[in-house]
Amino acid sequence: MDSDHANERVIDGDKSLSDVTHDIFSPLETRGSGRWWAGFLLAVSALLLGLVAVGYQIVTGIGTWGLNRTVGWAFDITNFVFWVGIGHAGTLISAVLLLFRQKWRTSINRAAEAMTIFAVMCAGIFPLIHMGRPWLAHWVFPYPNPRGSLWVNWRSPLLWDVFAIGTYFTISLLFWYVGLIPDLATARDRAKGLRRHVLRFFALGWTGSARTWSRYEIACVLLAALATPLVVSVHSVVSADFATAVIPGWHATLFPPYFVIGAVFSGFAMVLTLMLVARKVMHFEEYITERHVGAMCKILVFTGTIVGLAYMTEIFTAWYSASAYEQFLFKNRAMGPMAWAFWIMVSCNVISPQLLWLRKVRTNLGLVFVLSLVINVGMWFERFVIIVTSLTRDFLPSAWAGYTPTSIEIATLIGSFGLFFTAFLLFCRFVPMIAASEIKSVLLRRRAGDDRPLAAGETQPPADADARRAA
Amino acid sequence: MPCVGKDEVRRHREMTWMRVDRYFTGEGDDTQAVHQPMMCQHCANAPCETVCPVLATVHSTDGLNQQIYNRCVGTRYCANNCPYKTRRFNWFDYPRADELQNLALNPDVTVRSRGVMEKCSMCVQRIQEAKAEAARTGVPLVDGDIRTACQQSCPADAITFGDLHDTESAAAGLARGPRAYSILTELNVDPGVTYLADVRNRPQHASGERHGQ
Amino acid sequence: MSRRIHVALYTSEEKLLGALRASRKAGLTVLDVMSPYPIHGVDDLVGIPRSRLPAACLAGGLLGLGLALWFQYWTSSVDWPIDVGGKPWNSLPAFAPVAFEMTILFAGLATIFGLLLRSGMLPGRSGVIRDLRVTDDRFALVVTRPDAAVTDTELAQLWRDTGAVEHRDIVEREGDR
Ligand code: SF4
Repeated sequence: MDSDHANERVIDGDKSLSDVTHDIFSPLETRGSGRWWAGFLLAVSALLLGLVAVGYQIVTGIGTWGLNRTVGWAFDITNFVFWVGIGHAGTLISAVLLLFRQKWRTSINRAAEAMTIFAVMCAGIFPLIHMGRPWLAHWVFPYPNPRGSLWVNWRSPLLWDVFAIGTYFTISLLFWYVGLIPDLATARDRAKGLRRHVLRFFALGWTGSARTWSRYEIACVLLAALATPLVVSVHSVVSADFATAVIPGWHATLFPPYFVIGAVFSGFAMVLTLMLVARKVMHFEEYITERHVGAMCKILVFTGTIVGLAYMTEIFTAWYSASAYEQFLFKNRAMGPMAWAFWIMVSCNVISPQLLWLRKVRTNLGLVFVLSLVINVGMWFERFVIIVTSLTRDFLPSAWAGYTPTSIEIATLIGSFGLFFTAFLLFCRFVPMIAASEIKSVLLRRRAGDDRPLAAGETQPPADADARRAA
Repeated sequence: MPCVGKDEVRRHREMTWMRVDRYFTGEGDDTQAVHQPMMCQHCANAPCETVCPVLATVHSTDGLNQQIYNRCVGTRYCANNCPYKTRRFNWFDYPRADELQNLALNPDVTVRSRGVMEKCSMCVQRIQEAKAEAARTGVPLVDGDIRTACQQSCPADAITFGDLHDTESAAAGLARGPRAYSILTELNVDPGVTYLADVRNRPQHASGERHGQ
Repeated sequence: MSRRIHVALYTSEEKLLGALRASRKAGLTVLDVMSPYPIHGVDDLVGIPRSRLPAACLAGGLLGLGLALWFQYWTSSVDWPIDVGGKPWNSLPAFAPVAFEMTILFAGLATIFGLLLRSGMLPGRSGVIRDLRVTDDRFALVVTRPDAAVTDTELAQLWRDTGAVEHRDIVEREGDR
């Protein structure tokens, strides 16, 4: 099975095993470049801004947001769904592509999984702070209590969210950590002094023994096999927040697949944004190659087109249902007072990714970077459109209301980006950003050994080695 | 019910448990407004109840949709999912806003804190008091013993409250009548509130579609 | 009781595999192989039994599923039934998402803790590290001579023939491992 992909080049440059170790680990042993510090300070300031906004909101009340009796959710849950969606690409790259044995994932899976964890952290904050009384948030957990015991409402999609997000975060974190152990051991074995002690603690006594590797690989496949349905279920559950409601524009059976594909779409756009920045800042051009960018662009065209299909299906369903409320809703979305948000969504998510059909566009990294940002914006607006336009005008016109965000909500959104980038930049500095042990296992030169230089043009390992590996 | 001031009302944050919706019929000089009081419909299949993660809004054995303020964590999911949009949220700490105003609060009704949802309770304090009194004296409740505040204060006597299971009650009789209808029945939320169509004798030339009330 | 073990270092996967075969043929007992990345095909040569992690994973999943279904049923139908939106006490379809998530959670935790416990990996453990470079670019072969079946010179010859870049002998006392 492996030999099918053996001559597929994952990284550029003619690297030996120790080159890989050096390239990946030496940036961690420095003080960080000026660019890194600039980015870090910017991210921390955004985070502080968000903290101030959230602090003020918790002390004063949800009234500091622009919500009203009709629109009970807006920025809060939009941000929640947006961040959960971002997280999904990480799991897909690490789990689904592992199951499909796509080797190009090895360059980006570590960073993508880290992105998942940070995005889920950002997401998890919103259901917490959107509560009127967040200090009672522990009531969503079913623990024995002196009130009866009064348990929880298992029928509520919000409760499903608690379990879905909790499981997703736990499994993603552990999966990521397990993947990290061999590399932590490498860092440990290169380090001295206090750094060595710290790393020794986290490397869990990894020795590189074949017995451990054997078990380890099985565990990784099992976890990937668990993570794949998990990631699908998480966004399906998130979509159930809307799909199980009675409100037109929310109440749609299309939602679970529509949300999952949207999540993949937005997540891959975010991975692309981060990777394009990281390869420049951390000098990983040979590891995150243009082939990686090209492969992700193709995924974006594919998922973006499905998202467009989902938008059309929604409109068709509304028309075909002959339900006056549904039909009104879609007219209102496209032509009502919030039509601007709808058209931002359509142009960013459906029209802009179509440019990626062109090879010229896919190989122009600057343009790809801009498109990835545009898609991120578009996907944020998708959630905003679904949540807010559906709420503003539902059944009884007497209850209709508009919605305008306040500065506190905008600051909270900026703060969530601050948290995300702070965590991501710390990750780039302190954790090997590329899975070195996995890169080593797909290195073309690995069997030849360091002492025998690769002959010019030689890309294929000896056939007998392949046969052994396939066995 | 707190008075939130005009700025908050402009932000659609009024706290009224019952609003009076207006629908218009006719055109020009013939325009007529029809009124429809709208409050919590105490749906039997209440969509607001299913979505609450912490069981802060559930059904009572009387068939009321209850809001349990001290359990509410304020997700506002119930308000989003109420098709009649009758739920009201405490955006700020209203009760403590004005010390003097606090003295005017109804001692029988719980004061709601910031961050919890509230809505028409169908005067549950009156129902509970009457039931307790009946249990104490041993005299069974009869139709008309309990009157809700809105019923009491309506000069046109447009509101009738009673036990729908008691086929003899005035409310049950009206709900069975030919003029009875409910709102948004197509959602199958099975509202507990029934409206009566207003039958008017209007001059022949009156045009326009009639909206019942 | 102590035993003498021998560690040889190689620079590539291919050489290691060759040495592995040669030492088995020479009658050495292969204790372990250490490498910077997993080498496919060494399991049989080293004699590593099939892992039972898949069974642990399945058991964890079934436990999670069973617990979640039972707990949801018990809390909403037995312990304190409450009328929520006119739904039946036992709203089984609505219990499916949480049951599914708990299945995954328990299966995942069983897999991960199974891996860590069976491999003796715990925070702060140091493990027996044969050479610091096995996490970088070296492949270590760890063997022992059963009843000194192979002589010192034969062993040295074996290391030379298989291209070992380094080799050393270690006396290991019981309890070291
Ligand atoms: S009218 Fe609204 S608040 Fe009242 S029971 Fe029905 S859904 Fe709930």
